[in-house]
Amino acid sequence: MNHLIRGRPIAEFRRIIQDPVLFIGLILVVLFVSITILSPIYAMVEESLTEEGQELFDRYLSSPVYRNIIRNTLEMGLIVAATGTALGFLLAYIQVKVAMPFKRLMHITYLIPIISPPFAVASAVLLLLGRNGIISKGWLGVRYDIYGLDGLTLVLTLSYFTVAYMNLKGMMQALDPALDEAATNLGASKFRIFRTVTIPMLIPGIAGSFLLLFVEAIADLGNPLVMGGNYEVLSTRIYVSIVGLYNTTAAAVLSVILLVPSLLVFMVQRYWISRTSVVSVTGKPTGTPQQITHPLVRWPLFAVGICASLFILLVYGTIFAGAFTKILNVNNEFTLDHFDFVINGYGSEAMKDTTQLAAIATPIAGLLGMIIAFLVVRKKFMGRAALDFATMLGIAVPGTIIGIGYLLVFNTPNEITLPLLGTIEVIPKLTGGRAIFGGAGAIILVFIVRSTPAALRAGVAALSQIDPSIEEASISLGADNIGTFRRITLPLIRPAFFSGLVYAFARSMTTISAIIFLTTSRTKIMTHQILNEVENGRYGNAFAYCVILIGIVLTAIVILSVAVGTTTGAEKSIEGGA
Amino acid sequence: MKKLSILVFCFLLAAALAPAMVASPAAFVEAQEDTLTVLCTPQEDWCIAMTQAFEEETGIETSYVRMSSGESLARIRATQDDPEFSVWWGGPADAFIAAYEEGLIEPYEPALASVLAPNAVGVDHAWHGVYVGALGFCSNIDFLEELGIEAPTSWQDLLAPELKGNVAMAHPATSGTAFTAFWTVVTLKADELEAAEAGTGYDENGAPTEAAIDNAFEYFGELHQNILQYTRSGSAPGTMAANGEIAVAIIFSHDCVKLQVEGFEGVVMTTFPEEGTGYEIGGMGLIKGAPEPEAAKMWIEWALTPEAQAVAATVNSLQLPTNPETPVSDLSVKLEEVNLVNYNFIAAGTNRTAVVERFDAEIAPQPVE
Repeated sequence: MNHLIRGRPIAEFRRIIQDPVLFIGLILVVLFVSITILSPIYAMVEESLTEEGQELFDRYLSSPVYRNIIRNTLEMGLIVAATGTALGFLLAYIQVKVAMPFKRLMHITYLIPIISPPFAVASAVLLLLGRNGIISKGWLGVRYDIYGLDGLTLVLTLSYFTVAYMNLKGMMQALDPALDEAATNLGASKFRIFRTVTIPMLIPGIAGSFLLLFVEAIADLGNPLVMGGNYEVLSTRIYVSIVGLYNTTAAAVLSVILLVPSLLVFMVQRYWISRTSVVSVTGKPTGTPQQITHPLVRWPLFAVGICASLFILLVYGTIFAGAFTKILNVNNEFTLDHFDFVINGYGSEAMKDTTQLAAIATPIAGLLGMIIAFLVVRKKFMGRAALDFATMLGIAVPGTIIGIGYLLVFNTPNEITLPLLGTIEVIPKLTGGRAIFGGAGAIILVFIVRSTPAALRAGVAALSQIDPSIEEASISLGADNIGTFRRITLPLIRPAFFSGLVYAFARSMTTISAIIFLTTSRTKIMTHQILNEVENGRYGNAFAYCVILIGIVLTAIVILSVAVGTTTGAEKSIEGGA
Repeated sequence: MKKLSILVFCFLLAAALAPAMVASPAAFVEAQEDTLTVLCTPQEDWCIAMTQAFEEETGIETSYVRMSSGESLARIRATQDDPEFSVWWGGPADAFIAAYEEGLIEPYEPALASVLAPNAVGVDHAWHGVYVGALGFCSNIDFLEELGIEAPTSWQDLLAPELKGNVAMAHPATSGTAFTAFWTVVTLKADELEAAEAGTGYDENGAPTEAAIDNAFEYFGELHQNILQYTRSGSAPGTMAANGEIAVAIIFSHDCVKLQVEGFEGVVMTTFPEEGTGYEIGGMGLIKGAPEPEAAKMWIEWALTPEAQAVAATVNSLQLPTNPETPVSDLSVKLEEVNLVNYNFIAAGTNRTAVVERFDAEIAPQPVE
């Protein structure tokens, strides 16, 4: 593929310049990424390289205590990435390839974790399985110590497997069943097909999910804060050095340490994918996938799927029940006070603010992700790898660092001095209660920065499965780049676009680590309020916030699926033609 | 003709802009008096009740952000060039003393400063006390029974091997509560040293010596083996004890009483260390460079009135009010009933930053065997 243009990046760059819309688009994207992602990270890295920072590097890396913390962080990241990807893969495989009852219902339960803030899951799991848990202490009579690695693995896997599940399910659905049929005709067994056809086709998705889960896990702040116990990880250390000591140098040094493994995994994943050809959407008609019906395969997998569903329902059932009871497990009287607090009381402000800001950030992040995916996969210009890399930094960098980077860069107006025009304020002060829009500008930018990478990955995964000859055909027939992108590419990657949008909205509504330093008295964010409620033991209020937040996200998903659609046009025409 | 039209345009533009330019500073001043942004350190429900009461009283639109003591200090320090808060209300006075020493607080003397006890008025009127409360241990009764031990009545009791992984306190870097606990032990260690040999526990200014601080670090290093986790917020360990996650929480006694009133009666109990416990004077101060200084001063005047201090009881915040005319709830822990250490707030404030940094470097990240 791409044999016409491979090895000629400069020629391709010239072609981009010749198309003004594409060129301006590229410039704008690069500018946006530089200002919103690179400059805050640069500010932090710069901070870590000061003399004081270098001393801290020496101290941390030679101290056994900090080595232990680094080991904990990596251990937790790898375990969660492995369990989360495995669970996501298994559940996606069951959904797509195995014939069984209640599929749709199970699918819906798997989506719930992505739309709730981390504190909710952690608090509910503590109430269920903690030292005084309803199940562990109440039913089984064991004071199970869930604090530490075991609890974190459970909670983080539960919070993040959905990312892997959605990615892999989308890819599996896009696989051409003709490949399976061909393998069957050649005499391969189902397991052999699974091992030699399905898995290799999904390697980019598996690797991508592993990367996302690994960085999510090592950067996660909410769960270690609630149930880390004495299992110290880097993110909580960074958090304390900022909120408690405001030692930006220490935070920057620790973040750079945290950044290294994230980036290493990221590189491995890129190298691996580039070697794997994954074209499967060829524009030729496809059939319906064959479902596995063998009872020995089918029912054990059904058991796995239903157990996962039931556990998720149990956790969210606890949240739901907790929202309507005075104090769950202590005083189980029914009450609507918590909802009154969130809807009519002081919580309403946070609810409105968060929804509005997320609604503004979502379409921007979704579209930006698709545009960058298109540029990166289809256009061979110089620096496209750098653009992909820079965009991914938005998620590879711990949220706390984005937040602090924003404080460093945008807490004062950014000015440039031009020879003739004098000093111009290019970017006004964005953070803090006294900034424009009460600090909401910075929060929207962080929402975008944090959710674009997922949209980008979904877009890249989808695009690399679509043969470029379809787009080339459009260009040969006289359509321009924009027209081709809008009418050919976008419909083909519509499922990816949809999952990008859903993820962006859910992510924005539930993010905590990146915006925890950016909320102001004028712009309140629900997750931050939930943290306050959880910390002060008002689980009822926290759970009511969660129920409402989940409700808002679910509503948004319904609206998005109507507006964007979850299938490609191609599938419809095949169904219609069959 | 063309020149004329440009001239007319310029004139019209100037005419349109001139009143706007004159009007805008006035509008700005008015806007200042319309709003107030409070940095609020006590528990969230009290912040809500206070800002609502102030809004009703004055008509000034009041908003707040709740942050723990150490967090507040860090935020004020970070935004000192362009502060977003005008008044900082609540949290142990040590943090206010540290903030004033760093030039982050603007002294202001409210009319009611004269009714306060002398220890509730900061040097130069940099801060004023709004409430007082003693530190205590908040224990889960069932959990203690399960472990087969009595509720702790001394700091030494917290080191019992049965309590391994069953004690929680906040991180002194973020929480004023935890810092108060730390400085209480410093004071006790200073008393011990002083009793053994005069002049080794306290220096000539009455501040605990380095040796006393070192001994306190030694104690918290041992206690670390029993700590399940360090929370951000000072009152959070109390909730963990109430939910049966831990046996003993080191928190302010009024936060434990609040839990009892709000549904955990018979679940948790309060005890005090017999050798002496620390206490906080909840401070309040005007932030230097405050965007709304007039409204902030009104808040400071108002917050010392009995009406404002009576708001606390409506949300079960049972700290003792500093204005003697405020009615005191029967449920509040009276200071004369507990053995208080001679808590040196000024020394505590001066040493605060160094101590919490050392705590964060030496104690908090250590693995537990």
